Amino acid sequence: MSQLLPYLGVASLLLVVAALWARQIFLTRKSRIEVIAPRERQAAGGSTASHGDLGERIFGLEDWHFVSRSMSSEIQEMFLRERAVLAISWLRRTRRGASLVMRAHVAAAQQIEDLQLASEVKLALSYFFFLILCDVLIGWIWLRGPVRTRKMVSRTLRTVAWLRGAFEQLMARIDPATCKTLRTNLDHRAVRG
Amino acid sequence: MEIVTEAFILVRSINAKVYDKYLAFFIYLTAVLLIDLLRFSVLSFHPSIYAPFYWYTEFLHATIGYAVILEISKHALNNSPGPARIARTFLWAILGAVILRVILHAVSRSVWSTTTMSTELERDLRTVQALLLAGIIALLTYYVVATGRNLRGIIFGYSAYIYASIVSLAFGSLPGYGLRPGWRLVQPIAYLAALLIWGYGLWSYSPNPVAETESKIDRDYRFIAEQTRRAISRARSFLKMGGEL
Repeated sequence: MSQLLPYLGVASLLLVVAALWARQIFLTRKSRIEVIAPRERQAAGGSTASHGDLGERIFGLEDWHFVSRSMSSEIQEMFLRERAVLAISWLRRTRRGASLVMRAHVAAAQQIEDLQLASEVKLALSYFFFLILCDVLIGWIWLRGPVRTRKMVSRTLRTVAWLRGAFEQLMARIDPATCKTLRTNLDHRAVRG
Repeated sequence: MEIVTEAFILVRSINAKVYDKYLAFFIYLTAVLLIDLLRFSVLSFHPSIYAPFYWYTEFLHATIGYAVILEISKHALNNSPGPARIARTFLWAILGAVILRVILHAVSRSVWSTTTMSTELERDLRTVQALLLAGIIALLTYYVVATGRNLRGIIFGYSAYIYASIVSLAFGSLPGYGLRPGWRLVQPIAYLAALLIWGYGLWSYSPNPVAETESKIDRDYRFIAEQTRRAISRARSFLKMGGEL
């Protein structure tokens, strides 16, 4: 029976890939992806500097020190709740920004003639790792709050920053036009440790 | 039933002028129709040689199935040079790995039997086709390549048939399962389902939409620039006329 596993594995792979393709056809029938989409979001998203500062401010300890010193426990709880919501929203925005840039790259890559398999695989892997890390962080903050998980968050954000650097380098090599958009859409600095 | 459906699809493809648009695919379908007609005549007039004849022609059926893969890869990525380049690298890598595996398998094998070999060979051929097809579909999904109804029909129909073939041949090659009549029905039923999908997908010609090579903003800018150029040229000719008067 075990000799069947490779064959059944390949058959299942075909089934899964075909199902994903069918789902995509169904979902993109009405909403077509355009290369321009991230640029529009960039214009709507506000300035780069304020976006980066926002991340630092959300995960920074200054506000928490102030609240924990001079406020009642009710206010402290409220602060933690609000801060967790803000942190999750910030991470979701980061994730969405990366997704839009990746979609723009994928749309533009169709016309790039010297596309390299190795670079594309690396790019896809770092992108998926980036998404997984964002999801893990969101879950972690949702469970324990942004202050208590701060060390873990800052360590993970450093990994995210490193990933983003690798992602950006690859994009610059493959698709310089989309890379410009990436720089402005994903400009988050790692939290100071 | 299969013969009638195949003949119907072929006649319809000629009437709807789709036959020459997907030539390799329809050559495959024509070859399968001829194989089915031959099998039917052998079963009617020489039933004793039907079993070996079936296996040899089944091997032929699996081999010409590569024409469908060729047709799919040709039409799926003809407007996307980047993914097409990746697909070529991927297809060559798979082909190299498979040839290596077949050589190693043949060298290490001690006992040879025609029926077992035919079943295993067909199973292996179908598995390679499944890998190639999965690779092409993965590229279509990843790069969001726009496809027409015809190509979707060919891909979904063939995927369904390949999937069912691999599963039935894999279980059919096991000692206990091979003789069960249920497994023998899976492949013909899946093929009939594929024929119905092809019939629907290839009812009329529906090519792949051409990918936009420039963004909306570039297109709008070009349009405005063209209109401005025309207006200036009109104004210049008007001024020239005024100067002459």
